Amino acid sequence: MRRKLLTLAAFAAGSAMLLSGCAPSAPAGSGGDGSGSGDDVTLKVWSWRTEDIEKYNSIFDVYEKENPGVTVEFEAFQNTEYNQILTTGLAGSDGPDIPMVRAYGQLQPNIVAGQLEPIDGKVDGLDEIAPSVLAGAVGKEDGKTYAVPLATQTLQMFYNKDIFEQNDLEVPTTWKEFIKVNETLLASDVTPIALGAKDDWILPIFADIIGSGRYGGTEFEKKVLDGSTTFEDPDYVASLQLVDDMKKYMTPDVVGVSYTDSQIQFTSGQAAQFPGGSFEIATFSTQAPDMNIGSYQVPLPPQAVAEAPVTPAYADGNFAINSKSPNKEAALKLLNWFATPEFGQLVADELNQFSAVPGVEYSDEVMSEAWDNYEKNKAPYLLLVDFRYGEPLGTAVLGQQVQKMLLGEQDAAGAASTLQTGISQWFTPTK
Amino acid sequence: MSATNTRRSRHIGITLSKRTGLVFILTALILFTIFVLYPLLTALSYSFFNWTGIVRGDFSVLDNYVTLFTKLPYSEQVPNAFFNNVLLFVGAMVFQNTVGLGLAVLLHRLKRFKRFFQTIFTLPYLVSPLVVGYLWSLMLSPLFGPVNFILKAVGLEELAQPWLGNPATAIWVVVFVTAWQWVGFPVLLYGAALGGIPQEIEEAASLDGATSWQRFREVTFPLLTPAIGTVSVLTFIGAMEAFAIPYALGGSQGSPAGATDVLSLLFYRTAFESGASNAFGTSSAIATLLFIFIFGVAVFITWFMRKAERKLY
Repeated sequence: MRRKLLTLAAFAAGSAMLLSGCAPSAPAGSGGDGSGSGDDVTLKVWSWRTEDIEKYNSIFDVYEKENPGVTVEFEAFQNTEYNQILTTGLAGSDGPDIPMVRAYGQLQPNIVAGQLEPIDGKVDGLDEIAPSVLAGAVGKEDGKTYAVPLATQTLQMFYNKDIFEQNDLEVPTTWKEFIKVNETLLASDVTPIALGAKDDWILPIFADIIGSGRYGGTEFEKKVLDGSTTFEDPDYVASLQLVDDMKKYMTPDVVGVSYTDSQIQFTSGQAAQFPGGSFEIATFSTQAPDMNIGSYQVPLPPQAVAEAPVTPAYADGNFAINSKSPNKEAALKLLNWFATPEFGQLVADELNQFSAVPGVEYSDEVMSEAWDNYEKNKAPYLLLVDFRYGEPLGTAVLGQQVQKMLLGEQDAAGAASTLQTGISQWFTPTK
Repeated sequence: MSATNTRRSRHIGITLSKRTGLVFILTALILFTIFVLYPLLTALSYSFFNWTGIVRGDFSVLDNYVTLFTKLPYSEQVPNAFFNNVLLFVGAMVFQNTVGLGLAVLLHRLKRFKRFFQTIFTLPYLVSPLVVGYLWSLMLSPLFGPVNFILKAVGLEELAQPWLGNPATAIWVVVFVTAWQWVGFPVLLYGAALGGIPQEIEEAASLDGATSWQRFREVTFPLLTPAIGTVSVLTFIGAMEAFAIPYALGGSQGSPAGATDVLSLLFYRTAFESGASNAFGTSSAIATLLFIFIFGVAVFITWFMRKAERKLY
């Protein structure tokens, strides 16, 4: 009797476990998926901007009002895993109609795998977008355009206007003034520059904010791409040395400070300046809505190659069409809308981002100041724009090297040559 | 046949018929095959191909493995990560298992509050290791964390370092946090093993005039060999596979400067964050190599411990 009970229990437990293991998980946010007849279409848009879900929903409400019968479903995934999630989604059957895709190098695997639809000539307004921004949406091999650029990110030095006032400081316009500003701040009990060196992705950004003018921005980009120089160029090494020189103005043992710590340092007033991207503007306005923030371009150091201070920038995010989408016509229509000034204005107003579409007004003070500076003198965020087309990524190598520099384990020349060795694994200049 | 019979008669419990036993095993076997064996074999097969995203390319035999040891960044990161894994294992053996053994012995002799202490020691490993790592990273923050604040308040300013920002100390923080979380594991296992040692042997030893330390060294410790073997193998596997705590403390890059990088982090980075075209091929190679290494060493340790055990009987 006992044995029969046990056998029964074994079967029950076993089948219960098996069934739970095989049960399909409920698809997240299912609902109708465009299988309606004729007019009613649901377009699925994927992105990594989990911070902006609500804002995108209100943006798409605008589109849905203008286009009755179309529903836009916006879904966001974790940033660091998005590339893989997207690749899998595009290959499967339940993927997005319009995925937000990365720019430049990280876009290429999806293009090469034939997962995106080329859109040359099918989207009006693409020719209005700046070529350097559009370059982030182009296939490196075939030169075709695969997406509509969403935003431009600019890199600059943010500063706390109130702290500057308290210390009688003005925005520096020469390198001497820049050093003086930092020395004054160092002498007071405020950290001059907040940097989260523990998260090494911020370090190439910092290197370009401080050093792009020194190594010559766009000119240098041209020379590296056609092979007339390498990253071991003395001007580039000198720009990395500047990063090391700035160490004294950062938190002591800055490699222990995380990126989020550094943001808190700035928004709580413990640090006076924050070298960062325009993507910080939205974060700062949420974390410290009462703070008076400004931004400036770091002045040119002695022996700088550039003629005026620059704002490094890059295209950030594009909208593409899944080549397997059953709703390509409707998707193309939405993509056309993405290239209109109307959408660009929504990007500026709702998302606090610089739209890739020209002709947009930035009402936010911080944004318009940064944008005006950018329009004065542009440069590429070199390693992200041109050196992410192979493994190892230029940004990853430099990030680690700058960390080592800040720890005292590496010097500027060594960092530059490690960067050169790293990218030479896959980069060949196009003469 | 007689050996198994003696083994069985030492255990108290229900003896099952062969058929019932088979049903239990079959369920586990099916789940194991679907969720462990199948992914394992497919990962092995993936590592032999070239991938573009998730489109499989040509059969590249051992190219992915060769890449791991010859091309940057892998040729530098793989040995570095492996070294850190070994450090984690040694650190766990030295700090976690010795302290665990000591605590288990002390608890064994404790008459009152035994359960209470056992619960306290095992509480940390009921918490997700990601949460543990994250909380420790907050506590050790040089700007906002309480640890440095307390050290400075007490006057130990030289110790108030950026523990997670210094490559020399960061890996030891990982060792310490892992040991802190998992100390309950050897406490439980050794505690159970100690409970299985017949009291008469200990009494006989003390009657013969052995001191407490002599008793432990000559009697208790040798009898714990099976438990030590089990704990060592499991610690080894855990140290080689460590992911959650290094990820929470150092991020997926193994900051600072790769000092907390471990093989699982390298795998995760390569597979999901690198955006490289051949991410699947290279990461499958890493995963396969890791598996073969862990399996091989685990089998070796087990064989070695069995030999040591047999010397006892």
